[in-house]
Amino acid sequence: MPMVLLNCDQDIPERERHIYFKVPGEDTRDYLPVANAPTIPGTLSERGCSFCGAKLVIGGALKDTIQMIHGPLGCAYDTWHTKRYPSDNGHFQLKYTWSTDMKESNIVFGGEKRLEKAMHEAFNEMPDIKRMIVYTTCPTALIGDDVKAVVKKVTEARPDVDIFVVECPGFGGVSQSKGHHVLNIAWVSEKVGTVEPEITSPYTINFIGDYNIQGDTFVLERYCERLGIQVIAHFTGNSTYDDCRSMHRAQLNVVNCARSAGYIANELKRLYGIPRLDVDSWGFNYTAEAIRKVASFFGIEDKAEELIAEETAKWKPQLDWYKERLQGKKMAIWTGGPRLWHWTKAVEDDLGVEVVAMSSKFGHEEDFEKVIARGRHGTYYVDDPNELEFFEIMDKAKPDIIFTGPRVGDLVKKLHIPYVNGHGYHNGPYMGFEGFVNMARDMYNATHNPLFRLAAIDIRDAGAAQIEEAA
Amino acid sequence: MGTRADELFDYVQERCLWQFHSRTWDREQNIAGIIAKAQDLLAGREPAAETPAERCFVADAKVMVADFRSRFPWIREAPEAEISEALNGLRDRLVDLTIARSRNHELTHTLY
Repeated sequence: MPMVLLNCDQDIPERERHIYFKVPGEDTRDYLPVANAPTIPGTLSERGCSFCGAKLVIGGALKDTIQMIHGPLGCAYDTWHTKRYPSDNGHFQLKYTWSTDMKESNIVFGGEKRLEKAMHEAFNEMPDIKRMIVYTTCPTALIGDDVKAVVKKVTEARPDVDIFVVECPGFGGVSQSKGHHVLNIAWVSEKVGTVEPEITSPYTINFIGDYNIQGDTFVLERYCERLGIQVIAHFTGNSTYDDCRSMHRAQLNVVNCARSAGYIANELKRLYGIPRLDVDSWGFNYTAEAIRKVASFFGIEDKAEELIAEETAKWKPQLDWYKERLQGKKMAIWTGGPRLWHWTKAVEDDLGVEVVAMSSKFGHEEDFEKVIARGRHGTYYVDDPNELEFFEIMDKAKPDIIFTGPRVGDLVKKLHIPYVNGHGYHNGPYMGFEGFVNMARDMYNATHNPLFRLAAIDIRDAGAAQIEEAA
Repeated sequence: MGTRADELFDYVQERCLWQFHSRTWDREQNIAGIIAKAQDLLAGREPAAETPAERCFVADAKVMVADFRSRFPWIREAPEAEISEALNGLRDRLVDLTIARSRNHELTHTLY
């Protein structure tokens, strides 16, 4: 079946190139949604901006770093509190946000002095913090503030600090993805290799593309500890700035994310000869497979089998309880990019759940190659969706549950279909064995919650009796 | 009914992320490296694992070979030449799908 032109897209036929419905006998040689392309006029994209990709997704997870946002206040607020990545040092990165609060006069006369003052103020207010990332935003990039010159001045005045500049304003690319790209490549070029880590194990890895959403990193870290593996850097969940400067000393890069993680892993492979091992860390099957691969690299397979056996004995009965009750449910995944292909087979194999529609806000064509290879026939695969497409596809696919973010989540409420936060999770962590039980529990609770059905009943007339009956 | 190479191909499509790395060069390296290690493992030979890159290929190949053996009983019985033929077919299919006829415009993009 060719690409799909939805009814709501009749006036913007360009959208046909972004929506695919998989049928038997086809593969990605025949059809592949166009991705990482500019959003076209007439479609109300759900995408974020490139600055958001750099700050909210990647840099913001660092637990010991001032995130100085050189721009108006809204750029700071909108990339601060929506990502739930805790840390083991009291969640420093979630408690504070920093901004130069640029106003009209600063735009007219330039914001470099204001930035310099803000950087000193931040370091003075937080004397224990010696690391900072400075981000440009749309207005400060447009007026041409020389951020690197300011950073040089501040660094000369404060020789004990280290500062990294991310020059990726919101308009820098078509989506968040450009921000991932810019930050990652600049980080490898400027920062990796500038700190020597203390090596405490003969087995060392970097875990790239895990941002400690609701404690994912903590789960993975426990597995690594039990295997005797030292994680030099999680890029970037629960990591310090200097952990990520030490990445050149790992023997293996374990990659969980997609292009953003691939950029950095490929650069580390090219510059330092560190091999790249891509894994899935959501799902029972996949987690076991990931542990086996990492352990095999180090020749510690026995330890891996012991860990897998213990975790399986502990968590499999709970997973099976949920599987029995979720079997046959239909799910939509309306998220960013990689979770489509990480989750579609995991929920099918481990929980008996069918994924009937998936969309990606910022995924690249590589993400669609992966998800179409793994995903079911009779499923929609959508790039950069708009709201009307969302409603039309939900009407066709009829999912029992939708995994998406809080913004689309509010639309989902209108459909009276249960929604689970697919970005920040409802009650995570979701990674690893125990994490997948958490995910199954949230799916069970959502799909068995009577509120969504009851909320759809108009209680003014006959509906009142239905409500009383249900009570 | 598909060939043995088709069976292996369907499995790899569904399970293996290494076929879809970011660039043409790393897809080529992975496909060639992992299938070569799988050839050794299925023939009962210890694959060379001297360099970090080789150890990484072996790690991926071991999981794949274990799954091949559990999912495809014929692979436990087949002579080496037949297994080799199936793996060569798998390699050709992967190269065709993920590189030669891939619609992914970024595989050779200068900016990536």
